[in-house]
Amino acid sequence: MDAIPAIRVVDIRKSFGTLEVLRGVSFDVHRGNVVSMIGASGSGKSTLLRCINRLETPSAGEVYIDGEPMGAVEGRDRPLSEINRMRRDLGMVFQQFNLWPHMTVLGNVIEAPIRVLGMSRKAAAALGEECLARVYLSEKAREYPARLSGGQQQRVAIARALAMRPKAMLFDEPTSSLDPELTDEVLTVMRELAKAGTTMIVVTHEMGFARDVSHRVLFLHNGQIEEEGSPAQVFGNPKSDRCRQFLSKHLQ
Amino acid sequence: MGNWERLVWNQRGVLLQGLMVTVEVCLIAFVLAVLGGLALCLVRMYMRPLKPLAVLLTEFFRATPIFVQLMWVTYVWPEIFGWPNSFFTAGWVALGLQSSGYLAETFRAGIEAVPRGHREAGYSVGMSPVLVFGRIVLPQSLLTVAPSIVNQFTVIVKSSTLVSVITVQDLMFQALKLVNVWYEPIEILTATAGIYIGFIFLVSTAGKMLADMLRQRYGLAAA
Amino acid sequence: MFWEYRLVLLRGLAFNAYVFLAAAAVALSVGLIAALLRINRAWPFRWIGTLHVEVFRNAPDYIMVVWVHFVLPLLLGAAIGRRIEFHPFVSAVIALGFVYSGYFAETFRAGIQSIPLGHIEAGRSCGMSEFLILRRVVLPQVVRRMLPEAINQFVSLFKATTIVSLIAVPDLMYQVSMVIQQEMKPLPLYTSAALTYFAVIYVVAGLVRLLSERWRNRIYA
Repeated sequence: MDAIPAIRVVDIRKSFGTLEVLRGVSFDVHRGNVVSMIGASGSGKSTLLRCINRLETPSAGEVYIDGEPMGAVEGRDRPLSEINRMRRDLGMVFQQFNLWPHMTVLGNVIEAPIRVLGMSRKAAAALGEECLARVYLSEKAREYPARLSGGQQQRVAIARALAMRPKAMLFDEPTSSLDPELTDEVLTVMRELAKAGTTMIVVTHEMGFARDVSHRVLFLHNGQIEEEGSPAQVFGNPKSDRCRQFLSKHLQ
Repeated sequence: MGNWERLVWNQRGVLLQGLMVTVEVCLIAFVLAVLGGLALCLVRMYMRPLKPLAVLLTEFFRATPIFVQLMWVTYVWPEIFGWPNSFFTAGWVALGLQSSGYLAETFRAGIEAVPRGHREAGYSVGMSPVLVFGRIVLPQSLLTVAPSIVNQFTVIVKSSTLVSVITVQDLMFQALKLVNVWYEPIEILTATAGIYIGFIFLVSTAGKMLADMLRQRYGLAAA
Repeated sequence: MFWEYRLVLLRGLAFNAYVFLAAAAVALSVGLIAALLRINRAWPFRWIGTLHVEVFRNAPDYIMVVWVHFVLPLLLGAAIGRRIEFHPFVSAVIALGFVYSGYFAETFRAGIQSIPLGHIEAGRSCGMSEFLILRRVVLPQVVRRMLPEAINQFVSLFKATTIVSLIAVPDLMYQVSMVIQQEMKPLPLYTSAALTYFAVIYVVAGLVRLLSERWRNRIYA
């Protein structure tokens, strides 16, 4: 195992007004590992994920990407432009897909490589085709998102994140707004990414996926990590009562 | 400030007189617009044989600039119909016609927004079509379009500045006359613009409040 | 009669088009700035944006045209200490441009606020800058969303260009009234003018609406 983790989260806290959503969360994600975060809604898992790529600014604590601090460096807060640069290293997949409806599928995928990484249109298109092939949507490259099913849209969103060649991928409940029959195609793609050695943090309600694919599972409750360990440990022999209750409700 | 007193405050009688004429023209035009709009809309929706005529008139009133219509009514109508016989009448007729075209479309949207089920509920308790229209469809659609109707009044007020061109002695006319007398346009025109903007702001704020009230009381979204 | 003077009148109609195009450019750019001010987090900007919208949306076109033509040059002249005068065309473009910028600001604002926050966050998480997100993600969608309403406002603006004849911009209405002064025959001339405007507006607006719906339907299926 590397000395420097791909993502290190140190004592992240976040409050919205007087509401304390995260009360000091720390964990490491090593290169090539998949970490799943489970927990009831309102436990703070989505906020935690959004704090990692700074869509929310944490009230305290720090996130390190390959050892480099995300928020502040040498005692001063990073300006937005530097945060933007750091964000390229973290691919984000949202619950609501958030594809840009006025661009084609390929347009969505190659937008940031062209405009942010400064790739040529030709090189970006080749990269985009490659990423779309990884999510099995090559034939939809020229369609607009509105013509795609929810599952297809989410796979495009994954391809869009992959096209930035991120160091890690963050998934925020990627299947929660999909019809049950469409979740499998998305989970299959995610399993393949995991098998290929992609570093991933996944917030999910899919217990099967968390158990089979992840290296580590975190159970969040009330803004803190209540239980953590290997899937076998957390799903087979949870120490905390709350985790046991949660699992008994979510595992039929 | 001396200029303001001399040119605006001391002329307040004349300006107020003009404002009264503006309000008068606008109110008469507004009544014409509401009645005309309702008539055009009802003919279009419920009198098949006359529908093309209603559509043509609605579209003509909507797609022709108010200034052109004003000139047309003032100088052409007397030749054809022998009426209107005064500039004042020509003014409110032109303003009213233009807005009746817009209101016809507003009323149509309001009527079409009434769910079919409400009508069917009326029929199922034995109400006649006329009764269903008068008691169920019309009141509901008037409520939904009320804010748009108020809004149309502000359009009439804005357009009414043009009746000064055909020498109706409204606020705009009086202001321009004062400018011609004193050759000092800054204060007079600024004050006049302020009066118009303030007046129209009040009317449109009232319209917004009406829309909010209707939404809260009846849960209606403005059409 | 109308046919006899067709060249003069056509040149007048071209002037309507010039005023329209120039005023539309002013209205769109000023309107966008006002909309961005109105949704700004800092209250002084928001306040200025709101004031702009409330003043110009509630101002009659005609008084604004007259004000810009007769008052604004005096005020500017006093400020720089030199007598200036506006060409009627310039006054018309400034006045109509600013009046309609009030309407466009509201349309822009509604459009911008209707873009889901997630689209913007998706851009951020790809490392896009806020300006790049505005230009590539937000505005292209805003344009498509506001198009039906914007077309109505363009129609109103084109109709409003007819009043510039009152400060002697030689548009179609101006030419018509000149000819009427010579020939003393308002009936055929005003009727034809009305029909010409009606035809131009009805046909062009209809065509533009049709095309814009086709374009939008590709995306919002």
